[in-house]
Amino acid sequence: MSQVAESSHAPTSTGIDHKKLIMWLFLASDCMFFGTLISTHLIYRKLYPTGFTDAEGHQHFVQRLFDIELTSFSTFILLMSSFLMALAVSAMHKGQIKSFRRNVLGVIIFGLIFLGCQVYEFTHFYHMGLTIQNSVFGSTFYVLTGTHGTHVAIGVLWLILLYFYSFTGKLGGHVGALDVEVAGLYWHFVDIVWIIIFTVVYLIEYLGPNGFWGTGLPIAK
Amino acid sequence: MFQVRKRVQADACQCDSFRELRWRLTLIFLMFSRFFHRVGILVLPFLGLLMTACSRADLEVRQSTLDPKGPVAQVQYDVFMDTVYLVIVLFVLVGGLLVYAVARFRSRAGEVVKPKLEEGHGNPLVEIGLITASIGALVFIAIPTLSAIWYTDDVPKEAVATSKLSAWYPRVDANGKENYAKEVEDQVLEIDVIGKQWWFRFEYPQLGLTSDAKRTVPNEFYIPRGKAVRINLRSEDVIHSFWVPKIAGKVDLIPGRKNYMWIQADELGHYYGQCAEFCGDSHAYMLFRCEVVEPEVFAQWVKSQKTDAAPVVAGSKAEKGKALFAAKTCAMCHNISGHFGAGNFGPDLTHLASRKSLAGAWLDNRDPKAQLALELKEKNTEASMPVDPAQLKANLIKWIGSSGVAHGADGKPTPDVKPGNRMHYYKMFNVVGLRESHQKFTDEELDALAEYLLTLK
Amino acid sequence: MSHDTHHAPVASKLDLAPERSDLGLLRPDRSTGLMDWLTTVDHKKIGILYGAFAMFFFLLGGVEALAIRTQLARPDNDFVTARMYNQLFTMHGTTMIFLGVMPLSAAFFNFLIPLQIGARDVAFPRLNAFSLWTFVAGSFVLNASWLFEFGHLAGWFKDFAWYKSLVYTDFAPANGWFSYAPLSGTFGQADAALHAPRFTGVGTDFWIIGLQILGVASLAASFNFICTIVNMRAKGMTMMRLPVFTWMTLITAILIILAFPAITVALIQLMFDRQFGANFFNPSAGGQPILWQHLFWIFGHPEVYILVLPAMGIVSEILPTFSGKSLFGYPIIVFSGAVIGFLGFAVWSHHMFTTGLGAVPTAAFALLTMAIAVPTGVKIFNWLGTIWGGRIRFTPPMVLALGFIWMFMCGGFSGVMHSSAPADSQQQDSYFVIAHFHYVLLGGVLLGLMAGLYFWFPKIFGRMPKASVAYVASGMVILGFNLAFGPMHYLGLAGMPRRTHTYHAGMGWDTWNFVATIGAFILGIGVFLAFANLVWTAFKGEKCSSDPWDGRTLEWSLPSPVPEYNFARSPIISARDAYIEHKHGGHKIGYESDGGEAGVHMPSQSWMPMLASFGFLLIGMGMPMLAMMIPHAGWIVIAGIGILFLGIWLWALEGPGGYMLKTPSGSTSPSPVSATSSTH
Repeated sequence: MSQVAESSHAPTSTGIDHKKLIMWLFLASDCMFFGTLISTHLIYRKLYPTGFTDAEGHQHFVQRLFDIELTSFSTFILLMSSFLMALAVSAMHKGQIKSFRRNVLGVIIFGLIFLGCQVYEFTHFYHMGLTIQNSVFGSTFYVLTGTHGTHVAIGVLWLILLYFYSFTGKLGGHVGALDVEVAGLYWHFVDIVWIIIFTVVYLIEYLGPNGFWGTGLPIAK
Repeated sequence: MFQVRKRVQADACQCDSFRELRWRLTLIFLMFSRFFHRVGILVLPFLGLLMTACSRADLEVRQSTLDPKGPVAQVQYDVFMDTVYLVIVLFVLVGGLLVYAVARFRSRAGEVVKPKLEEGHGNPLVEIGLITASIGALVFIAIPTLSAIWYTDDVPKEAVATSKLSAWYPRVDANGKENYAKEVEDQVLEIDVIGKQWWFRFEYPQLGLTSDAKRTVPNEFYIPRGKAVRINLRSEDVIHSFWVPKIAGKVDLIPGRKNYMWIQADELGHYYGQCAEFCGDSHAYMLFRCEVVEPEVFAQWVKSQKTDAAPVVAGSKAEKGKALFAAKTCAMCHNISGHFGAGNFGPDLTHLASRKSLAGAWLDNRDPKAQLALELKEKNTEASMPVDPAQLKANLIKWIGSSGVAHGADGKPTPDVKPGNRMHYYKMFNVVGLRESHQKFTDEELDALAEYLLTLK
Repeated sequence: MSHDTHHAPVASKLDLAPERSDLGLLRPDRSTGLMDWLTTVDHKKIGILYGAFAMFFFLLGGVEALAIRTQLARPDNDFVTARMYNQLFTMHGTTMIFLGVMPLSAAFFNFLIPLQIGARDVAFPRLNAFSLWTFVAGSFVLNASWLFEFGHLAGWFKDFAWYKSLVYTDFAPANGWFSYAPLSGTFGQADAALHAPRFTGVGTDFWIIGLQILGVASLAASFNFICTIVNMRAKGMTMMRLPVFTWMTLITAILIILAFPAITVALIQLMFDRQFGANFFNPSAGGQPILWQHLFWIFGHPEVYILVLPAMGIVSEILPTFSGKSLFGYPIIVFSGAVIGFLGFAVWSHHMFTTGLGAVPTAAFALLTMAIAVPTGVKIFNWLGTIWGGRIRFTPPMVLALGFIWMFMCGGFSGVMHSSAPADSQQQDSYFVIAHFHYVLLGGVLLGLMAGLYFWFPKIFGRMPKASVAYVASGMVILGFNLAFGPMHYLGLAGMPRRTHTYHAGMGWDTWNFVATIGAFILGIGVFLAFANLVWTAFKGEKCSSDPWDGRTLEWSLPSPVPEYNFARSPIISARDAYIEHKHGGHKIGYESDGGEAGVHMPSQSWMPMLASFGFLLIGMGMPMLAMMIPHAGWIVIAGIGILFLGIWLWALEGPGGYMLKTPSGSTSPSPVSATSSTH
């Protein structure tokens, strides 16, 4: 062969490309990582169902703190970004570099909107009296969602680099499609983790007559 | 369902079975001695250990887990011995097979080994047989394990009848004073153990020996013989662990968590305990003692704990010492009922001179030679000499004057008795230790202070 | 248009023309000497580097242990202070586990896996180099704490403002290798600077960040190895024809990627508690210290299987070789390894039997712990079955492997004793536990790894270690080890708690502590001798053939030392134990028609993995310095993050490169005599 085969071109025992397999392995590990953070949050919710107390000693209910409309919006945005990501991957497979660029730009923008909503939300909660220091809820909530946000930010950075790289003409062919697909896997994972977080951290607070964890704000009122 | 097990009389020797064991192992060892030069290095120290570590005295040292003196420790010991028996059987079988195989199937000198090339499927029958046998062997220890877990978890119902307070402790004493409230008379005795760096505080909430009443018991606690006692375990800082091996296995003191256990000691004596969870610089110095006395003596002890310290004799060195106690800021942390009531941070010193140990039970207030001789003579590590005033005084001077607040005979600042200890080193939350606040003690001051503390019986 | 630029096959990489990467920087493919070792992506060289570092840290951890034993030889001793002792036992444990055993296992994974599966390298060679250099960075960060401690003791810092402002002056970690909260964490309210009061100083911060960096290295390596084993097997090398060592490596790597996240999260939470006033483990704010224990041990228990499974894999290779028989019950041994890995996630609270979990959880974990003894026992039975009916040759690796079985069996017995929670309530936190885990880790894992070193050394260096020295060293190790740790069973049952820097006379512990110290020194000399033998042999040892043991697996079919391209032609496998079948049985190894004059693809060397790891080094040094409030330490952390990202970015952009290396053509079956040239 005149063209030197790269290691990722060589036939693999499973038929799955190395890069794709290693991304799946990384995502399996990241599952355990988020699972641990989510478990910590849930354990402490069960232990302290009444929410948190701020610096002045005022009791806050989590349901009142959360702005579920905003969070639903940002969740929707992230879901849509996954859809655009899928389109980007598909475009790359078909070699349609311009379509790829449009879709990836969409993913980046939606990702930034999501991050913007997160930043706004954190600032809002901070002004309502929730800090990392003043309660267990603050610690678990901010670290969990902050870690997720960091994952999103790293994804956005990666996609920005891919976007600009696509202008060099070096992103293409089988390798290009593979690289984009792997980035897509990461992005979808980050999205799925968010769905889980949104459900068990946000939505669940509104389940049941007194909030899921009990002794919360009576919903019926 | 579960019997409160009585401690079998001391002479019924676990050691008899050990002696027999020793003999059996020696036989097995001799059988294989032809192969000693190949595997002896592997076998010898292990067997040697088993054989020599087995004298009675070695099994009954102060913190031995193999000399149970109460039902909880007994049950834990019995379960342990079940595992020992199982392990010995496995060791003989599997270890024996290994030694045999190594001996029998060794290649001879000069032999050229042509490798066999079977499929390596193994033998399913053998495999399944061995797996089944393993599971069976584990069931052998699983059943006593489960039984013991439930037995040791909390005071057994059948023990409550004899151990509840009203069964052995008169509710009202001879003078008409209440020893404990009517609401608690059907409870067993409860002791709150509060772990701190690096000592234990004991409180008896039912009997009025509490922090609020400013009558707490540091480091040496009393329990009545033969009665079940419930222990509540709390910590004020880091994780500690409460371990008096001859009475019970340990349970941790975890801050923010309400752990509990129950104990019962069936023999009188002075028992040795130690913190068994690493808790910082002076973890090794965090010991404590348990005094097991007859119920009447226990009642007397409680009464004495509720009395204030006697006034000091005017003009004595002790009076000077008492003044120093205030001047050197000791009173900020230590309570002496009747003399100084402001402090509750450090150990309560009201009955300091009646305690057999000091500084987290690290320093012993008994004459060391006499104590050892007594233990040897009685063949009983729970036997105890009384407090030796000279030893106590020396310990007080050494302890208070440690960590550089005084100078030793060589003129150099004194070393630490307990590095990082609160009395000398604390520097937080407006409480400042002796060393951190640059207190200095001369020899005369230490002497006077010790004389004062000696009066606190 | 392709990324690869070295088109024409060359006989040696020194014949390559200078080549630039996609970034325009020179690729270090033609480097020799030190540069070659620093930029290597060759799994064999990386394995040797891992091994060298591991042996160094084993000796360092051993010195720490000997200091501990010296202190404990006599009651009321003052050889070291309490604080120093606490630092010693913490660093001893952390060093031995993370800087000794794990990298030594990694050395074997690196060197052997591609050879055993018939591949030319791992799936991601540069990621492999990154794992190595990140490990080096983490080990440096962890031990830098000692440098600070010595500086503190020597008074170097006493005039600095930051030093004078420190509340605590412990610089090396001193909370034990599992560093329970809240001793390692915080209590009380955070102040305006977001710091809550702590119990310990910056030693804990070194420990946290050091372990995080080491975790990254382990994770990256594990991703790489799973991908390699699953995806790069030679034709005909089905999963059930893999050598057992490869299987154990695969299971170990899976355990790592699933278990390390738990400790990663626990460390992040602890760091947030300490640095940002969070409340994960702060009891005053409702934090639960027991959560730390759960998270740590959810990692910590699989971790001990991560430590032992590779050694079991090694022993499973050595026993058949020197018994002249194949492994008894190969499928069961593989399956039991998988079951041990799986059940390993179900038993973690047996480390917490004394924390007041409640009767039901205690019972559940006790039963599960007993259950895990079954697959372990199965392995021992199968090893017995392997040597049964064979013809045993007592070479040094075989003696060590047999020692492994014996010692691991004893350690397993004390483990069964621990599994019974009521018995454990007396044994926990005493010397009995120390005896147990040293029997499995030292008597088991270390002997297994040493057996592997002596077994594969001839393959790695083409020289045979001196057998006489090996026997003496092995004897000293086994004797010293039993003398040191055997008595500790008694000491624990006699009530001596662990992690205590001293004890009084009159407790009945004096004699056996002294004996244990003697044993420890004999052990130390034995280990040193065993390692020194290897180091000496690497340079001056007697050369040997490429298959001195009549080996069974593929690596023995290659010349010693192994050439850069591993296989001149890729093998085609048709049986388990492919090489022994090839030599003595009916299934010959076939060979593909790759290689020869057309060459095989070799990955390019690179600086970028090391650059990225250097970023970790800066982060690791900067964060504790930030905690000490050393001026400008924050810039070091930021620089570290920047260099990390830069390194990764350049790594991505430089392109994989690669060149074609010619391999010897000629006969398709491997020659049993080694090539005398070494093209490194």
